[in-house]
Amino acid sequence: MIATKKYEEIVPKKKWFETLVTRVFFFFIGMGMQTAYRIDPDVKKEVDSWPETFSFRMAVIGGPSMLMLKKEGSFQYLGEKEVFYADVELVWKNITFAYLVMTGRISVPNAVYHNRQFVRGSLIYTMSVIRVLNVVQTLLLPNVIARFYIKEVPKLTFKKLVNRVITYVNIGYGAIK
Amino acid sequence: MFFNKNVVIPEYYEFFNSVKVISGYKALETIPFELSRLGAKRPIIITDKGVAQAGLIKHVVDSFGGTDTVIGAVFDETPQDSSNVVVNQIAEIYRAQKCDSIIAVGGGSAIDTAKGVNIVITEDSDDLLKFMGNYRLNKPMKPFVVIPTTAGTGSEVTMVAVIANPEKNVKMVFTSELLLPKFAVLDPRMTMSMPPKITAATGMDAFTHAVEAFIGTQKNPISDAFAAAAMELIRNNIIKAVTDGGNQDVRLAMANAALLAGLAFSNSMVGIVHAAAHATGGVCHVPHGIANSILLPYGLEFYIGKSGKSPKTKEYIEMLLMHVAGPEIYVQTPPAERAAKSIATIKNITSELKKLCGLPVRLSEAGVTEDKLESIAKTALNDGALSFSPVEVSFEEALGVLKAAY
Repeated sequence: MIATKKYEEIVPKKKWFETLVTRVFFFFIGMGMQTAYRIDPDVKKEVDSWPETFSFRMAVIGGPSMLMLKKEGSFQYLGEKEVFYADVELVWKNITFAYLVMTGRISVPNAVYHNRQFVRGSLIYTMSVIRVLNVVQTLLLPNVIARFYIKEVPKLTFKKLVNRVITYVNIGYGAIK
Repeated sequence: MFFNKNVVIPEYYEFFNSVKVISGYKALETIPFELSRLGAKRPIIITDKGVAQAGLIKHVVDSFGGTDTVIGAVFDETPQDSSNVVVNQIAEIYRAQKCDSIIAVGGGSAIDTAKGVNIVITEDSDDLLKFMGNYRLNKPMKPFVVIPTTAGTGSEVTMVAVIANPEKNVKMVFTSELLLPKFAVLDPRMTMSMPPKITAATGMDAFTHAVEAFIGTQKNPISDAFAAAAMELIRNNIIKAVTDGGNQDVRLAMANAALLAGLAFSNSMVGIVHAAAHATGGVCHVPHGIANSILLPYGLEFYIGKSGKSPKTKEYIEMLLMHVAGPEIYVQTPPAERAAKSIATIKNITSELKKLCGLPVRLSEAGVTEDKLESIAKTALNDGALSFSPVEVSFEEALGVLKAAY
């Protein structure tokens, strides 16, 4: 006799907390990039070398994302706007990987070395995008924490401190808006 | 990372390669059978003039004798720097001749061109620019076979193709697992005609792949095994390959070493040596194998100098001695001297090759002028290989490596 068993679809639970944390970090990084373009000469130099309408997207497969667009002399954070094509995409393979990195439990270089994320798109601009992200992370994070995220943390200067304050004010303004 | 003697298990790693390897004497004769298993009966052969003039295509064509497989066409005009124009031209021939598969016979350029043709045919579009970059391809490709005629690039097992677009003045880089051939054939007949200097340069290219893979940031037990085997094969055979090019055993060993090194570095990734070598090739047109060979010891010296930032890398360079010099020398060398000895051993190999066939050991000997070093350093900073360097590299540091190698 064939045993009868009811087969049901299993929907895995949503990782809402990890998603929320990642989404908040994406917002900080996006606003940080937008601000850094205005106040940091190194970032401005890098972004200015990219073509007009250059887009950069950071995303988690099936999860949150953020989009940056260079347009008419500005570098704008466009939130989670969906696009068919981005020039460079930094994609996390799973929300857990993004969450572990965002909370400093896996460093960004290690995530790259482990292949927990990958780059989709133009390799010509990838290194330049990574340099911009490195600067943004030093603006967002105190040096003692930044060392979890980037390979080499530059020395803290007064100018950097002022820029960090401006970045946080802008992020606060962006959050209220 | 967890250490168990010389085996390093990372806390996480990925290793991928789907290429079937067919290696040995009369290995070419397996191609018709392997193609038929893939449902292909009419391949196009893509190669270059040098390979055709050396009579190597005859070996490939002869291997189809007595089978019902037909060669749809032979394209033997692949230029040294592959371009989208040539790729589209070959794609037209492929369609006109109703081919159903692709065989690349040659070095990096023929193989990259064939990968480009496969993209154009599969995606049914002559605009390669649309597919440039990482992971832009989605469709399964046509059956693709690679027969390398140099023992160095490892392109037969790597998922990268570089094709120039002269109109837009860009070098298009494509990376996708879909670009990997279905199988690679290593037959000693195909590398026997390589002149000594090219044998040395391509052999050192493979050696550099293995060394950088062994100290790479994505190194893992599988890539380590391949890299170690490659280094041992090259250490024991490179001099013989240069002095006794007609020796089939030595040629087969070097072809295997190049493939193993390719398997290793495409998973473990490379670092400053490759970034600087790519840039040297781009700015001063120094062949990749020669640039790698020159820069390898200086790249390692740079890592040792930065060992404060990445002590693990220095440990890996110490472990390297086992493979570049052999276990006897490794055991005889005090641990504190092993890193320096690894580099000295590599310099000894390149000096020997210089004496034997004129392989350059300095950038100045390879046609690089001092005024170009800054431009090379700047270009190197934008090379993707640097994102896998264990330490951050500044412009001044990249320039320092180049000056040391000049």
